[in-house]
Amino acid sequence: MTTEIKRVTLLILKFAVVILVIDFCFGIVAKKLFLSQETGKFARSSYVINQSKDAIMVIGSSHAIRHYKPSIIEKSTGKTCYNAGAEGQQLIYHTALQKMLLKRHRPELIVFNIDEEFLFKSDIAFSRLSDLHPYYGDNKATLNPFLKLKSKYKDLKLLFKAYQYNSTIVHVLKYKFAPQIAQKGYRPLKEEMTPEKLVSYTQHPPKKIYTEQIEPIFVQLLKDFISETKKHNVKLIFVSSPKLIERDLSKNESFTTIQAIAKAEGIPFYNYLNKPDYINKLDLFWDPSHLNDKGATLFNNNLVKIINKHLD
Amino acid sequence: MLFNSAIFFLFLPLVLLLYWVAQRNLKLQNVILLVSSYVFYGWWDYRFLMLIATSTIVDYFVGIQIYNSKETATKKKWMLASIIFNLGLLGFFKYYNFFVNSWIESLSLLGYTVQNSWTLNIILPVGISFYTFQTLSYSIDIKRGKLKPTTNFISFAAFVSFFPQLVAGPIERASNLLPQILTSRVFTKRKIASGVKLIIWGFFLKLVVADRAAIYVDAVYNNVENHDGITFMVATVFFAFQIYGDFAGYSLIAIGIAKLFGLELMVNFNRPYFAASVGEFWKRWHISLSTWFKDYVYIPLGGNKSKKGRYLFNLFITFLISGLWHGANWTFVIWGAINGLYLIAETLIFKKKRSGLINIALTFVLINLTWVFFRANSLSEAVLIFKDMFTNFGIPYIGGRDDITAPVYTVIAIFILVLSELKREFFNNYLVLPKYLKATATHLRYGIIVFIIFYLGVFGNSQFIYFQF
Repeated sequence: MTTEIKRVTLLILKFAVVILVIDFCFGIVAKKLFLSQETGKFARSSYVINQSKDAIMVIGSSHAIRHYKPSIIEKSTGKTCYNAGAEGQQLIYHTALQKMLLKRHRPELIVFNIDEEFLFKSDIAFSRLSDLHPYYGDNKATLNPFLKLKSKYKDLKLLFKAYQYNSTIVHVLKYKFAPQIAQKGYRPLKEEMTPEKLVSYTQHPPKKIYTEQIEPIFVQLLKDFISETKKHNVKLIFVSSPKLIERDLSKNESFTTIQAIAKAEGIPFYNYLNKPDYINKLDLFWDPSHLNDKGATLFNNNLVKIINKHLD
Repeated sequence: MLFNSAIFFLFLPLVLLLYWVAQRNLKLQNVILLVSSYVFYGWWDYRFLMLIATSTIVDYFVGIQIYNSKETATKKKWMLASIIFNLGLLGFFKYYNFFVNSWIESLSLLGYTVQNSWTLNIILPVGISFYTFQTLSYSIDIKRGKLKPTTNFISFAAFVSFFPQLVAGPIERASNLLPQILTSRVFTKRKIASGVKLIIWGFFLKLVVADRAAIYVDAVYNNVENHDGITFMVATVFFAFQIYGDFAGYSLIAIGIAKLFGLELMVNFNRPYFAASVGEFWKRWHISLSTWFKDYVYIPLGGNKSKKGRYLFNLFITFLISGLWHGANWTFVIWGAINGLYLIAETLIFKKKRSGLINIALTFVLINLTWVFFRANSLSEAVLIFKDMFTNFGIPYIGGRDDITAPVYTVIAIFILVLSELKREFFNNYLVLPKYLKATATHLRYGIIVFIIFYLGVFGNSQFIYFQF
């Protein structure tokens, strides 16, 4: 028995070493491949975390990506701008991204595009955090509190480089062969809404990815987002970009809570939802919640006046 | 508790440590097995531990009564008691609502309207189909004189509830597992190494193949109105690999974990998609269930010893029941019936054993057609899928928001799996390494598989499909 225990212990140790060596070697390759991306969502987030020196940074979800045109902002302000919007992501991701960015670079102004349902409970907000895993190796301390919000043992899995780069290889290959068009993070939408499309959207609205209950973790994260900018002496404005259909925002608890937090913390909040310039203007939208390029141009030409006001 | 949950990776080493520390005390080792199995099961829902405990107690005493009875009629009565109890348990928890609803629906087809106030809010206890079959076979085997009952209650309870195979099999026979539990186990490097290898490959099948394929399959099969024929074909082929990866993966992990405890479970899958006939497929797929049905349903019905008509009827009935065992839904019954019809057709048409690539491909296609019923959420959806498969090809769906990653990863995973199985099926005697290189090569191979699991696997703590059966 004792000899067998020794043999098994030795076997386990040998195998553990083999796994670690393989993980280390292949992990280096996986990281190199990952960082070699020049377009796509990971290329954009890698740029923000590791390289950007831009004075104005736009943060938010798909509404940020599709609505903020750095070319217009740069032309008007004379300062560099990058659109760090991340499709499908929510408050946890944005706060983590902001922390990683501020650790290395201090922009003059952060424009945070607010989605009205940011504070509602959403499981997807947690599950989509896997997009942060590739940055774990270089940002352990920063990312740990975010990644452990729903999974206590996350850091155990993240010991493996293979897990950090889990499911990234097809992205790498996809954008190598079919680069994604983006103009400093901005991804234009070309088509216009039509009355038929609108009817179809009204009849089959997209599935809600949240439940209309305030998530205390998200409230705290929004406050953390604000305090982090204050700590680094970065100016911050909240903007709710336009949507096609008018809505009663006073009944949206998430939105009213965000407004209240902004007011209490002294953060300027510019609300473009329900602005008559955009309501029911089909030619400015791609779908009911995303502006097309024409709409984004109109919005940015308007927005730069506000941005200029907040720059030195 | 799930094999792919973080808590299991704390639970297993702890139980193994206690178990092997107690190696010189067989009774204590079995107590550890029993307690850990109840903790494992109770982690999901402790209330249903009562069911396993009751099933254990009933069959423990029934087994002894059968053995001690002098009269065949008394033995038979006791055996019937076990059958009624176990099937009653299964029938109530799994089929009660199904039969009530089916009855009401058939009455409504005849023009009678019946208020549905009979259905109950019943939770299906995980693994009930597996452990009831296991205890049932114990009593039947004693009645048949194939097995002596044990008088060691702890060991018997440990056999019934042995956690690696408790919730999704393999469905062990008492004649295989119980004697192992009753005798001392030996801790050997060979068994541990072979257990670990099976566990790793099992996780590959589950996390890389099954869970990856599930993303595409669920997107298609849960929205059948929005998809067309080619998409259904792709999703069905993916489902074939999903269910194989899921179930064979679970079985391998179970067999591997049992080896870590020094116990051997039966092989449950033997590269089923290389079968050259449906008959052969069923000798390679879910072997513990197929042989269970053969021994306890097909042969008692007369098997192939009866006249041809009766023999074919036996075949059909066995598969019909097997379909119903898989789930309380008409889709499963039809799935079983089609498999039964396939076997009848094979028996009538082919006289010789079939082989070769064309037959393998044909069998794969035939089996895939049955998976449509197995996976479809309802009969009407299955019909719609078939209709589209043959009449409305459409444009293939590549993934949500044109994201091709789900199908591409699935194809990569299937490619690795098929490559590995091809080697084992056809080229096992090739590429044999010299002895001095074998250990290093094995370490490297499994190290790479671990890397692939972490690099390409889906980590969402998803349940195993067969838990629902």
